[in-house]
Amino acid sequence: MLSAVPRRIFHTFFRKPPAQRVTAKVPPYIRDQLDSNTDNEQPLPHDFRTVYPEFLPDPRPEWRNRLRERLERNDMLTRRSVVAIPEFYIGSIMAVTVGDRNASDKTNRFVGICISRGGTGLRAWFNLRNVIDHQGLEIMYEMYSPLIRNIEVLRLEKRLDEELLYLRDALPEYSTFPLDMEPELLPEGAPVPINDIKVKLKPRPWHERWERKNLQGVQDLGLPQRFYNKAKLHEKPWEKYDLMMEYRATIPEEEQADIFHEIAPHYQQLESSRRQSKRRLAQTSRY
Amino acid sequence: MNQAEIRKLIPALRVAMTPKKRRFSNPRGPEGRLFKMRTTVNELIKNERMEVNYNRADEARGYAERLISEAIRYGDCHRPTMELADFWLPEKQNVHKLFKVLVPRFKDSEISYTRVHKAPHVYPSTLFDKVVLELRGNPFPPLEKLTTKRNWIHNILLEEAHREYLEKKYKQEGEEEEEVQ
Amino acid sequence: MSLLSVTRSILYGGKNNLQKIEVINLLLQQNTSVLTGGTGGGATTRNMSRMKKTRPFWQPKSTRTLYPEELTPSNEAFGSEVISDQHTSSSTTSPLKCEPWPRGVWSEASMRCGVIARKIGVYPMWDNNGRRLLTTLLEVPDNEVVKYIPPEKLLEHTHPKKNNNTHTKEMAALVVGADPIDPRLVTKEYYGVFADSGLLPKKKLTKFLITPDAKLPPGTPLYASHYRPGQYVDVLGTTIDRGFQGVMKRWLFKGMPATHGVTKSHRRPGNIGSGGEKARVLPGQKMPGHMGNKKRILRGLKIWRVNTKYNVMWVQGPAIPGATGSYVYVYDSWYHHCRHTPDNPPPFPTFFQDEEEGVEEEMYHPDLHVFSKPSIAFNEK
Repeated sequence: MLSAVPRRIFHTFFRKPPAQRVTAKVPPYIRDQLDSNTDNEQPLPHDFRTVYPEFLPDPRPEWRNRLRERLERNDMLTRRSVVAIPEFYIGSIMAVTVGDRNASDKTNRFVGICISRGGTGLRAWFNLRNVIDHQGLEIMYEMYSPLIRNIEVLRLEKRLDEELLYLRDALPEYSTFPLDMEPELLPEGAPVPINDIKVKLKPRPWHERWERKNLQGVQDLGLPQRFYNKAKLHEKPWEKYDLMMEYRATIPEEEQADIFHEIAPHYQQLESSRRQSKRRLAQTSRY
Repeated sequence: MNQAEIRKLIPALRVAMTPKKRRFSNPRGPEGRLFKMRTTVNELIKNERMEVNYNRADEARGYAERLISEAIRYGDCHRPTMELADFWLPEKQNVHKLFKVLVPRFKDSEISYTRVHKAPHVYPSTLFDKVVLELRGNPFPPLEKLTTKRNWIHNILLEEAHREYLEKKYKQEGEEEEEVQ
Repeated sequence: MSLLSVTRSILYGGKNNLQKIEVINLLLQQNTSVLTGGTGGGATTRNMSRMKKTRPFWQPKSTRTLYPEELTPSNEAFGSEVISDQHTSSSTTSPLKCEPWPRGVWSEASMRCGVIARKIGVYPMWDNNGRRLLTTLLEVPDNEVVKYIPPEKLLEHTHPKKNNNTHTKEMAALVVGADPIDPRLVTKEYYGVFADSGLLPKKKLTKFLITPDAKLPPGTPLYASHYRPGQYVDVLGTTIDRGFQGVMKRWLFKGMPATHGVTKSHRRPGNIGSGGEKARVLPGQKMPGHMGNKKRILRGLKIWRVNTKYNVMWVQGPAIPGATGSYVYVYDSWYHHCRHTPDNPPPFPTFFQDEEEGVEEEMYHPDLHVFSKPSIAFNEK
């Protein structure tokens, strides 16, 4: 075998491997034996994770710690027992009342459409957008901030997209909502409706290249063909086959079950606040 | 967004993984990296045992585990899973093998579907760590010798010590009980 | 070799009266040289070694090469049984092996012991004005005093020429350990450190300088309640190792433009020295090099909240050195304006949580918003 290798490439071929930084591996998830009591047997509602996504920790392994996550969840539940945080989705229209030192009546109420939502644990946040006096306004609220006094969902619905940041480049009527908007009632037990409205965007220039985002909730963008050609070059069709990338972005199923069973004793309280908000009783519970 | 992805429920991996992906250099970029992984996964499913570099094996192992667990979970009548199998197994007889041989084999398994053994460097070769990557339950003779170590001298001595230790312990406990009474 | 290591693993479980093990000992006496040479004491250093590392006298080498011992599962369990018997039997009576020592009284010159903590994450809290604070959570994992080093002993081991605290005033030291580990994994010398206190060997061991009035008997547990909300601490940690880095990452240089005729120097430092008569690079010039993995101390951090059940404290700021999960050392703050006053003395020599009744599970700083309280309302002025 040695003779088959030309002399010139001998040193490059039989080289030492590059020094690799050894990082600790993530061990396979083992279910918590202490927590697996009889409570684990009761089934959880299928939409738990879509309603309370911030209860799942950040999946990045370097930042994870089970004790910290548990303490954080306890704090979240304590806060939720004080202020009801209703079920809402991207596209829902919400009204938020916060304490404001500089306002005349020391509170501030803002109505808008939820255009994005994120963060885990006590860092969870959402963005509301509205157009007031021809001026687009966006406010980011921290869900667990003690300044928040009331969160109402005026219209509970979903949209076709995961983020509605393109409303910044849409015509203003799509993000204009009256501040005295009446809450709309949903019948008990009805599924959350999906609003399949198609938004018309203003002509370019835009904040982002929306033609590359594969948006569902917009009308034809009306761009020349070269934009779509360029967008095609930036597609990453292989990503849907990258099973490990997908895995690293999630919390495994068993762990999710453990987390939601841990908060199961508080489930009644969470559900009551959720149902309340659906029936629009939350608006009467003022401080 | 920093939130965990919730659109798809994925069962936990049964092997340890690196917190970040390894970047294998490839002129085709991230796509080419997946093709490299695909070669290894395809060979693994086909031959059930192979010798590869450690880094390559460790990375491809996760993909193989995930592919098998998806196949077990959704079966062959699920379009996205079939697309996955179609991508990961370019030799189409392996797709049949995955659903007809490996899924029944691993259906009730509680442990990982693959194994990794350290392999020696055979001079002359590159100095990259070599391993043997294999599917569990393969038809080849096992790599680890299953010999009993019970008759080794230290094990025999320790067993005797254990017996004496227990005798002494029970005797002491009995004496203590008597004292209490 | 497996015989040796097996025997060691059992022997290190502590004192034993087992005849069979004595037999093994007899067997091993023929191989005494191997036994002493293999374990590697803390004091042995090679002559020509470039990486000469001296250990402090209280901390021998802890790890050894682990060979496959080829034990049967029942023998493996026997080892665990012996260890658990030896270390649980003492806990039924009292964790302390010696009589309790008289407790000192705090004065302004006193220096208390610190604790070893683990950084477990960062999350926000809010104060009573609605201001968001980022706090780092430090867990205090099973801290126990391992050894008390009196001033005379400490003086013997300090460098005579160094003008440090031990010479200027009378200082003693406490060796504190955190996180118990399996005794079979450590060396005999390291196990010997814990023999007096009757503790399981600890994963992390460190020495805290104290004044002799703050001394504690070996075996005393330290809890997060050693510190109170409102107190200020200094936290010492090892920063994240980032390897060899360029100037843009290491020193936050600006680099050079991406375009406008710039070639091959987008991330380079530019000029490093002045011309003229100096004709050299001045010492201390910021250059590329190894970044991180250095001990760094953050001083004067306020404690906002303490959980006595899980032994966690919430410390001001997100910038405590080290990655999540790394160990840090926590001391009473060194700053003059952060020290204890006679009006507000600390629990001294430590807070004896086991002896106290009705310890609150959560202790909050009065300025901190407690989640169970209603939302913040601003009153009309």
